[in-house]
Amino acid sequence: MPFGGMRLGMTESVARRLVDTRVVIETPEGVDFRFRIAGPGQRLWAWCIDSLIKAGSLAILWLFLLSVGAFGGEAGVQVMAGLATIGVFLCNWFYGSLFEGLMNGQTPGKRAAGLRVLRTNGTPVDLVTAIGRNFLRVADALPIGYTVGLISMLLTPRLQRLGDLFFDTMVVTEQRNPTGRKEGLTSRVLPLLRAECPRKFSVPERTLAIIERLFDPERVMSDGRREEIAKPLSEALRQRLGWSEAWQAQGNQYDFFQNQGYKHTQFLLRVLKTFAVDDRLGPGSQQSGDSR
Amino acid sequence: MNRERFIRERRQDWGRFEQLLGVLQNLPERQWRSLQVAELARLYRSICYDLSLVQSREWGSRLEEYLNDLVAGGHNCLYRTRPASVALALEFIAIGFPRLLRQRWRAFALSAALFVIPFVVATIIGIVRPDLAVLVAGEQELQESLKSFSSELYTATDERYTGERSFMFGFYVNNNTGIAFQAFSLGALAGVGTCYVLLSNGISIGLVQGAVLAKGGATAVNFTSFVITHGSLELTAIVISGAAGFVLAQSLLLPGERTRLESLRYHGRESLLLALGSGVMLVGAAVLEGYFSPLPIAPLFKYLAGAVAWLLVGLWLGLAGRERPVIVDSAGGVQS
Repeated sequence: MPFGGMRLGMTESVARRLVDTRVVIETPEGVDFRFRIAGPGQRLWAWCIDSLIKAGSLAILWLFLLSVGAFGGEAGVQVMAGLATIGVFLCNWFYGSLFEGLMNGQTPGKRAAGLRVLRTNGTPVDLVTAIGRNFLRVADALPIGYTVGLISMLLTPRLQRLGDLFFDTMVVTEQRNPTGRKEGLTSRVLPLLRAECPRKFSVPERTLAIIERLFDPERVMSDGRREEIAKPLSEALRQRLGWSEAWQAQGNQYDFFQNQGYKHTQFLLRVLKTFAVDDRLGPGSQQSGDSR
Repeated sequence: MNRERFIRERRQDWGRFEQLLGVLQNLPERQWRSLQVAELARLYRSICYDLSLVQSREWGSRLEEYLNDLVAGGHNCLYRTRPASVALALEFIAIGFPRLLRQRWRAFALSAALFVIPFVVATIIGIVRPDLAVLVAGEQELQESLKSFSSELYTATDERYTGERSFMFGFYVNNNTGIAFQAFSLGALAGVGTCYVLLSNGISIGLVQGAVLAKGGATAVNFTSFVITHGSLELTAIVISGAAGFVLAQSLLLPGERTRLESLRYHGRESLLLALGSGVMLVGAAVLEGYFSPLPIAPLFKYLAGAVAWLLVGLWLGLAGRERPVIVDSAGGVQS
């Protein structure tokens, strides 16, 4: 059992691993930061895009070279066919590695899918490493449709195929959810009113962070389970704010009964909407944030 | 410090860092200016501090995520490995590759045995029973290759042949180098695939060679003088790529004192370098096979060139890059 031994014998000096698909890396500055490992689905999507690009560019290359060669008679066609064959060879064996090595771990497909290849210590891949992990696709693709690679991914915590294992790389996702505190998550609930809360009208930042984490889309859980988790916190907050549920729902009765099952979740969202300050961080947010 | 004040005060630096990161990530390292790098490093350190502050005070996952991305980007930008260069690659081919191969002589010997023994046996079988060659090559292809070797090679100097040479060059690069890289990659599956590639190629090349040699006379002379030169690089390279595959297999099956994962990483890179070296050899072989081997010159010259080629390949792989004995002179300096 080679893979069993591999997991037991793992020594993680730089990168620590969480129970989900995130990897924690400690920098020499002594701070931890996280990467999210990309799953097989995301990688398949990137692979599809790359395959299309490869096939398309090879078709164009052949057409172009052969039509140029046609001017040189039979010899010209053969010279150009020879060149095109070398093009096929480069495309087969070096497409992924040249892009990953020179574009900091991204092929066009990976860029479109928001993925990046990194070494497992979080540093960028170099050209040789990229060539190695792409060569081993031959083994990963056996016997059909990347079966070996998929099995290897299922057995390793960082979802690595053989090429990743041998060359110490991992594929991470850089997709972020663009929803802020106010947009998206809390758009469908009303803020709490000062008049509704006879006691304190403030919630510590720490508590807000916990609520946010409860609604983190990376944590997949059913609404019922979330409601269950929300209950104790919601009850404590109701106590603190002195908020109590109105007997009669404002507006639509259908809404009232539908929301009743998830009243604690709803309440926490309202708390979040009322007290959380939207940071509006991120690229291009500088001006809008300052003029607030 | 509360959260709002923290964000208000630090936001300027974050924005500047993002901007700088965007500039530097899209420039090759040669064009980075020292002032930019110094500023990036300073900002990076302060943002690392910001991140750990936010982490410890739990100031919201969104803020943490944002700073996390900044730190990840900075880490990616500042911590790098030495980039590959043409000079390094040439140095590797001249010195590093033969050295590496001699270090891995066991894998090389295994691979050579698995390729050469079936090759020789199949050649003998092919000479005795030329009819068996159809098992590995198609009937039509076999007849064609027999016919092409029965007459003088490329006696005409008309333009058709210049085209055909380039076409064959492309074909050799794609086909042979592809086989070599396959032999290497399949080593990751405990070496079974590498064995298969070596055995099947040894047997099929041997059988066809035997069938051609069995014709005797001009055909055999044409054939031998054709293959002798480029064979030096080509056959050796196939064996080396097999050796690279076996190094991969060894790292998986016999990790020694390392953990298995460490063993994969340790051997992975060296085996890849072997495979890449054999790829370079095969491109060289394809140049010879496409443009030199079919030249219409007397077989004697080709035999001579072949002997020189085998000798050079042997000297290069056997002797290049040997460690010179270290001499310590009286002043205590070390010369090599």
